[in-house]
Amino acid sequence: MKSNIMQETISTTVDTLVTNSYSDRWDGIEGIEESSLFIQFMASNDLIFVVLGVSLIIWFVLLFYLIKIDRNLSKLEESINKDASDET
Amino acid sequence: MKPWKYIVAVYMTVVISAGFLIRIPQIPILEESARNLFLHVPMWFTMMVAFMMAFYFSIRYLNDENPVWDLKAETATAVGLVFGICGLLTGSLWAKFTWGTWWTFSEPRMNLSALAMLIFVAYFILRSAFNDPVKRAKISSVYNIFGVSTIPFLLYIIPRQLPSLHPGADGNPAFSEITAPELRLIFYPAVIGFIALSIWIMDVVNRYKTLELKVSDQS
Repeated sequence: MKSNIMQETISTTVDTLVTNSYSDRWDGIEGIEESSLFIQFMASNDLIFVVLGVSLIIWFVLLFYLIKIDRNLSKLEESINKDASDET
Repeated sequence: MKPWKYIVAVYMTVVISAGFLIRIPQIPILEESARNLFLHVPMWFTMMVAFMMAFYFSIRYLNDENPVWDLKAETATAVGLVFGICGLLTGSLWAKFTWGTWWTFSEPRMNLSALAMLIFVAYFILRSAFNDPVKRAKISSVYNIFGVSTIPFLLYIIPRQLPSLHPGADGNPAFSEITAPELRLIFYPAVIGFIALSIWIMDVVNRYKTLELKVSDQS
């Protein structure tokens, strides 16, 4: 059912193209009913979960980077402050 | 790392996910792009808060000439500028698919916010022109106070007096009647989240600059 909806939107997109070399059948969507629950979930709701996935990947990578810098800074602060107190 | 930062990380993850997952009313032209409200508008709110902080730090610097204030003012301005540029870019992309153009000179808010960004780019050019740190700090503090005081006029007062496609034009408020109530449930938390994130970034940059100063003093 879900895949039918998707196929409709895909075929309307394809109709607007002048060339006939595109088929209105997309093989990638076939057999989605037999695939795992996760894949079915990701392919539902006009693929909004794919955008969510992409956004979360970017967010987690940036977050990981920020946390890493923050931790490295803390270490550096510790060592520099220790050096400073050793000298005095 | 301080515990509040972990809270910000988890909180932002929840807000971003919820922004995609809630059901929103389907409005013609806008459609799913209405979710941009959770991302595009908080960029400007965050920029505003960052510039207000820079304004405060600049005044504090002129008050007691403690170089820490200048350092904090510069960081707040830089982070505010980054968020402002994100706001401009996301706004331009959104405009392409709702107004039909990447950029239009008949849209006052768009152009005045770009102008506001230029004022703060000039702040960094001004800073780079001085070798003497005291002179640099003093003049850039004065410039920053001037720069931030233009923001309410450029982003709120003038755009509201002029006709525009952007919400919040022609004397109408940006938000009240035209925004569906369920969007607010994500919008306000997103504003808080992005502001907290910007403060985290400022904290990291400030600590880096403090270390840099310390190391250069030692050598």
